[in-house]
Amino acid sequence: METRVRKINPNLLRDWFMSYLFLLPAFGFFLVFVAYPMLRGIYISFFNYSLRKFEYVGLRNYVDLFHNETFMKSLWNTSLLVIITVPLVIVFSIFVAMSIYRKREFARSFFRGVFYLPAVSSVVSITVVWGWIYHPNYGVLNYLTGLFGAEPISWLGNEKTALLSIIAVLITTSVGQPIILYVASLGNIPSSYIEAAQIDRATSWQIFRKIIWPMLMPTNLYIIVITTINTFQCFAIIQLLTSGGPYYSTSTVMYGVYEQAFKLGNFGMASAMGIILAVIIGIISTIQFKTFGSDVEY
Amino acid sequence: MNTVKKGLMTLLGITLIGTQLVACGSTSDSSQTTEPASSDKKETTATDTAKKDEAKPVEITWWNFPSFQALDGEVGKYEKQIIEAFNKKYPEIKVNLEMITFEAGPEKLNVAIASNTAPDVIYDAPGRILDWAKKDLLAPLDDMVTDEVRKDIPEALWKQSMVGDKTYMYPINTAPFMMGVNKTVFEKIGALDLLPLDRPDRTWTFDEYKKALQAVKEKAPDIIPSGFFAKSQAGDQGTRAYIANLGNSPFLNDDYSKIAINTDKAGAALDWIRQGVKDKLVVSGSESLTGGDVNDLFLQGKLAITLNYSPVLRAQNATLKKAEFEDVLVPFPTIDGAKPKLEPYLGGMAIFNNGNDAKIAAAKKLIDFIANDPEWGKKDLIQTGGLSARSSITGLYNDPEYTYAEQAREFYTNPPTIVDGYAEVRTFWFPELQRVLLGKATGKEALDSFAQKADEAIAKAKADAGK
Repeated sequence: METRVRKINPNLLRDWFMSYLFLLPAFGFFLVFVAYPMLRGIYISFFNYSLRKFEYVGLRNYVDLFHNETFMKSLWNTSLLVIITVPLVIVFSIFVAMSIYRKREFARSFFRGVFYLPAVSSVVSITVVWGWIYHPNYGVLNYLTGLFGAEPISWLGNEKTALLSIIAVLITTSVGQPIILYVASLGNIPSSYIEAAQIDRATSWQIFRKIIWPMLMPTNLYIIVITTINTFQCFAIIQLLTSGGPYYSTSTVMYGVYEQAFKLGNFGMASAMGIILAVIIGIISTIQFKTFGSDVEY
Repeated sequence: MNTVKKGLMTLLGITLIGTQLVACGSTSDSSQTTEPASSDKKETTATDTAKKDEAKPVEITWWNFPSFQALDGEVGKYEKQIIEAFNKKYPEIKVNLEMITFEAGPEKLNVAIASNTAPDVIYDAPGRILDWAKKDLLAPLDDMVTDEVRKDIPEALWKQSMVGDKTYMYPINTAPFMMGVNKTVFEKIGALDLLPLDRPDRTWTFDEYKKALQAVKEKAPDIIPSGFFAKSQAGDQGTRAYIANLGNSPFLNDDYSKIAINTDKAGAALDWIRQGVKDKLVVSGSESLTGGDVNDLFLQGKLAITLNYSPVLRAQNATLKKAEFEDVLVPFPTIDGAKPKLEPYLGGMAIFNNGNDAKIAAAKKLIDFIANDPEWGKKDLIQTGGLSARSSITGLYNDPEYTYAEQAREFYTNPPTIVDGYAEVRTFWFPELQRVLLGKATGKEALDSFAQKADEAIAKAKADAGK
């Protein structure tokens, strides 16, 4: 009876070793700055951790949060922010990308630059400028609407307009990257597909629906997931423009995390809020992967 | 193949989400890798260390808000001069200065305390200091308060510096929070007589105040008569005192256990403010303005009366004026001209108990130098732009407004900073003001709602402190 001994190829072993060696720094960073803080955050969420107090409270932070009117309002506001912002960002980005991707290189670069500028500018600077645009007494927006005889509006001080004003700013800072990605994706669609459809007398809408949209699905998936996550985490704009007001109408979960942790020093409660937000984002992202991921195959 | 791809995509998705969520997970965690030390352990270690280090050089960290006006426009330059002078007297004590801002400093302090990296000494105000003292984070300073100093500082200021019978803040500078008036506007419209400036104590009634605002509205249509703000908690001492005086109602009850401002009169005052916005007597959009925004309008000469002013702010704002005008201080008006109740600004120093007696002793020497050094004590006070917390030290400035501010100290009241759970209590104030300004509640309803939430927070803080 002959026993077959499987020999390990030294080259293969070396490649395997080298691959993991190169992965090690990134993995180390992931462990230290992502995995550990997340696990620690989960752990802290079961404690009343306030400055130097560290007392185990089980699920009390979570129970308190779901009985807290302000948190529930923040959850609702966050959902509204995502429901309105994400589709608008997608639609606007595709519209702009469709409008510019066949233009000459100079025009394409110009528009890409214009729309990408807010993405590379400081959110704080942009928000401060918007603060002046919305200023109730000396804002540019009220000046412009005043030219048409409209009464000045307290854009950020009115419950009906505050969240929409935030969404407008959020959209300007969110469309830059999607436009760049969509322009690149549209450029990769073979023109022969579109020409063939045109010869068959397909309408522009039919070409978009049957050819362009399906071929944009991988890009759609990425943009939808990233924009959703970024919108859930919107914080600086709210902190600088409204501080969550008026009367909690723009308060979001992320703003609540900041307020609990850094203003009130309730790190346990803040961690519980963060975990709830993480779970919500996880569920929504999974749904998005299931929904949009099924068509990603060309 | 498809299943493998889906699996990989899901893994990628989870990784992406994880990466994006670091902020959520780490906000509360980024800086705390050690568990809080028990106070017993801390004290034992501290005593041992002190014995060993008695003659050794000591290094302490001083975190400072811009409590002193910037010298030559450079933040921290004056503080460095203090340290230089201090080191001539105490060369063995090395002081590491870190300047923090009023905007980001409080958050930085919360994180530092939670991660056991708090500074050794800080110049701050009672709002935070008393909260830390109640949480047993500070070292008592009673051994450095002499009988002379104890008697020389008014009771209202000691109340803001002590928890129980222990002193945790060494009071240094003070000033009453009042209203700032653009005197030049009233001169130009010939309505100077509507201001109470000819009265020695400058007190005035609500009706007189309304007449002054009406005059500005009619004769200077480009100027906003008065300010109000409710965007955030910054500067809330202004809105608190304004409503408390307009409604002749104390903010707290006598034993500081409950909110007392939810009276009919205070509710009516709040209703008047909302109506004032409609009548263009009060700045519009006040629900989205901060105290800083309103004071900016005042400094630009666009606002006649601002409600969050003090001699300290007046001194600090002197170079920030965007228009030429004379600003004067007046107290808040009251319904029947009764004596106003002014919340005092109080600045002082506190020491964190970081478990090292040598550092605590060194920090006490620094505080004593800043407050009581024959040469630097007076210089330091003037650099804050405030009055001395000590009643016997007067006449620091050659300015009639400071002379009046010294006199206005007679209107000092106990501010809500002394109440248990103050940090949480104040988070309920401005949203209720917003509710009134939005027309969603009457003044009384909003104040009742505030009182209910605040009373719960006070009771909870008392219960936590008792554990």
